[in-house]
Amino acid sequence: MKAKRIAAIILLVIIVAAVASEAALATSVPYDTYTYDYWGFIVYTPAAYIPGESISGVSLGTGTFNDPQGIFAAPDGAVYIADTGNNRIVVLEPDLHTVRDVISTFDNNGTEDSFNRPRGVTVSPDGLIYIADTENRRVVALDGTTLVKTIRDPEAELLGENFDFVPLKVAVDFAGRVFVIARNMFQGIMTFNQDGEFVGFYGTINVNITLWQRFWRALSTQEQRARQQQFIPTEFTGLDVDPMGFIFASNIDMAGEQAVRRLNPNGEDVIRRGENEHLGGDLLMFPFSDSPYSGPSNIIDVAYRGKGMYSLLDSRRGRIFTYDREGNLLYVFGGMGQQAGTFRQPTAIAVQEGRILALDAIRNELIIFEQTLYGELINRAVSLRYDGDEALAVETWREVLILNENLELANAGIGKAYLTAGDNINAMRYLELGMDRHHYSIAFRRYRNDILKDNIGWMLTVMVAGIFGFVVLRALRRRRHKDVIDDGGGTMDA
Amino acid sequence: MRKYFTREHLGYMFGVLVRPIDSFYEIRYRDKGSVPLAVICVFVLSALFTINRIFAGFVVNDVNPRTIDGIEEMSAFFLILALFCIGNWAVTVLMEGEGRMRDIITVAGYAMLPIALILGPATILSRFISLEEAAFYHILIGIGIAWTAVLMLIGVMTVHNYTLLKTLITLVLTFITILLLVFIGLLVLDLLNQIYRFFYSIYTELVFRF
Repeated sequence: MKAKRIAAIILLVIIVAAVASEAALATSVPYDTYTYDYWGFIVYTPAAYIPGESISGVSLGTGTFNDPQGIFAAPDGAVYIADTGNNRIVVLEPDLHTVRDVISTFDNNGTEDSFNRPRGVTVSPDGLIYIADTENRRVVALDGTTLVKTIRDPEAELLGENFDFVPLKVAVDFAGRVFVIARNMFQGIMTFNQDGEFVGFYGTINVNITLWQRFWRALSTQEQRARQQQFIPTEFTGLDVDPMGFIFASNIDMAGEQAVRRLNPNGEDVIRRGENEHLGGDLLMFPFSDSPYSGPSNIIDVAYRGKGMYSLLDSRRGRIFTYDREGNLLYVFGGMGQQAGTFRQPTAIAVQEGRILALDAIRNELIIFEQTLYGELINRAVSLRYDGDEALAVETWREVLILNENLELANAGIGKAYLTAGDNINAMRYLELGMDRHHYSIAFRRYRNDILKDNIGWMLTVMVAGIFGFVVLRALRRRRHKDVIDDGGGTMDA
Repeated sequence: MRKYFTREHLGYMFGVLVRPIDSFYEIRYRDKGSVPLAVICVFVLSALFTINRIFAGFVVNDVNPRTIDGIEEMSAFFLILALFCIGNWAVTVLMEGEGRMRDIITVAGYAMLPIALILGPATILSRFISLEEAAFYHILIGIGIAWTAVLMLIGVMTVHNYTLLKTLITLVLTFITILLLVFIGLLVLDLLNQIYRFFYSIYTELVFRF
């Protein structure tokens, strides 16, 4: 009877535990969070960001969004959304729950003017709102609701006679230069000066044709060539400006290797590409499948996160990739789906303090991703390292390791700190876990020198004694041998 | 059994390292070679290869430990060398080569000796070097591989009594033969599989019917 009761209790505990864990699963995040290790294997990590609310516009009292395409988070925390299908710009307060303004008309020198499918919006450092008014084929700069200037019909020999200027995205740096991504403009980002005159192209991506492609092209006929894919430079897709005035520009890379550039004022790419030289989103691309889910990541927007970090938005698999200044992949999260917190057609990304905002053009929603403890710790450690505060950064990396002991970046960071502190054994241990050969080698050499220094005395003694002993022994044996021969076959027991 | 592992056999095996032409000549024409010793050479090499991949120092070791499989690597060594022996025999039999199958096996096995002898000490050394000294390790391995390649060339040349040019030609032909062997092997396996499935489907048909 007693045994039966114990069995019943055990069974009950098991059932409760199973149900409880099921419940825990049900509340978990609707996507995986992961990163890639040194060998390019996926390493699943705790969630760095979890989906928070989704804002559809109904709760704001502005009516639902329609095909929103552009988002910009201003330095004061306000969020500007280009509500493309409704031909308006919605401005939200930093809390994202109250509307500051809805701009659908503006004052154009006394007459009322409106937008036609605006796709991009940004705010310049001097407070003007720049809007890529796409189907009106112009970029307008507003001060409140008053038109300050218009950029349209840029004229230059470079552009040709019947050039159709269709602006998609816009960014402004502290010097007032305006950067515009225009449709079918493969030469690069168009730049305009403060007066709205076309200055030139910026950050042009060169086409690389491999020898193999050239070989096949040489072999194919005129007709085949017409049907082949064209070798045109990739288009830019998104823009952001960092406080130093460098432009972050995302682009679509069919090779999946570099989908973001950091352009200096001359238009040269100065981004750092990290250990494995990969800034293209996913490493695993499932290339042998026909599904729309396969292929390189389709990076359509970039957001500068501060402290050298930046996030990329992939519209193919709905993922958000975050890199640090050195080009190390920190975490990847997000996914396509029907659940809350997943994407159906992501279009743009922006960053507020502690959260990531993304627009979805089919859900017609602004999706908020809230930072978790894990994400916050990584962000903080990377920021501290960016500021050069290594000691505090190490403390933070240690906390990260408690949550995810496989993170190579954290292990390498701690290892480097031990190296600086002179603890070579611990440095070697952590640097090996962090796959940092260069610093491991330095720690190892110091460790080896220490051992040699401590032991060189007795090692040399043993060596000299050994050589001496060997010489003496050989001389003795030779003499004995000689004695035996001298005996001329006498007694051999000597 | 004893006759394969005499002191004389061992002497000729290591003699190959320093006097390859003479030693291979003796192996061919005075039967001083030992096939079991050659197989042991390959066995030792494959074991050391896996040991090197696991235990070489972190500074020079760029192998993902998750991809190491000792049994698989050992079978790969044996398979490749077996294919080489069969391919080389098939070619040289038609090209007036004087070597017998056992000579070719002996050459292939003994030629692995230098790299097998170097790999062990190199693995130990790699645990005591830093990144700046990694070049020594790589040079050491390079010497071993080059030495093995030279022994292979001299061995094939000597046991078949070929000139250098003819040796090189037969080696190229051997490579083509290996490709053919692999192709035919896969073909036969596939056909056998289809035959098996044919009979198996007849069997299931009968089982379901009665």
